[in-house]
Amino acid sequence: MIENHSSRDVFDAIADPTRRQLIHLLSQADEKPLHELTSQFSMGRTAVSKHLTVLKEAGLVLDRKVGRETRFKLNAAPLREVQDWVAYYSKYWTTNMLRLGQLLEEEKH
Amino acid sequence: MSLVLSLDFQYTTSIEKAWAALTDPNKLAQWITANDFKPVVGHRFQFRHEPNEYWDGVVDGEVLIVEEPTRLSYSWAAGDERHTVTWTLQDLGDGRVNLHLEQTGFSHVHGLEGARYGWKEWFGKFEQVLEG
Repeated sequence: MIENHSSRDVFDAIADPTRRQLIHLLSQADEKPLHELTSQFSMGRTAVSKHLTVLKEAGLVLDRKVGRETRFKLNAAPLREVQDWVAYYSKYWTTNMLRLGQLLEEEKH
Repeated sequence: MSLVLSLDFQYTTSIEKAWAALTDPNKLAQWITANDFKPVVGHRFQFRHEPNEYWDGVVDGEVLIVEEPTRLSYSWAAGDERHTVTWTLQDLGDGRVNLHLEQTGFSHVHGLEGARYGWKEWFGKFEQVLEG
């Protein structure tokens, strides 16, 4: 599994639609300054900043200062934790359902 | 509703046979695992898989809904996870049956309550990012 030194659960971080939208926006560019991100939302700069902080605490977003502006960058690695975990159950059923298909096929004969 | 695992499978069979496959312990043993399932609301059962290093292999369940032959629901608990599995069977005609599976209640995601979301689609968007 992924080493997780971050202070916030990645599942909590992606629970909010604004934060998922932020992740989506950040996945489309190498990095984006705050004003470019805030322009995509009806909420104010402070509210968007708070969401970015949550993402940062979950290790999903990295930031750096460039002159007077802060630029944000997506770090997608923690998302694997969620994906792997859903995929586990998905695989469990898909494998079983293949066997069910065989069983139903045999019953026809 | 929170994180939902939602899968559809189509089979060439009758809805009665599909129902039997989901509810008859002998048939369940052939495609899921050893079990003591009964399609009776309130019945507690186990699916007993081969244990591995992460898991004792046991799923503890209780039958919640039995609406023969279209709907079956049971709780599904393994390790720390407490889920609900719901099957919806639909006769598609021409000897085809659709089995719809929904597994809900993933405990890691209490924070997701109220955030119904298409997870598959969402992760689809990130596949490239995640590959990187």
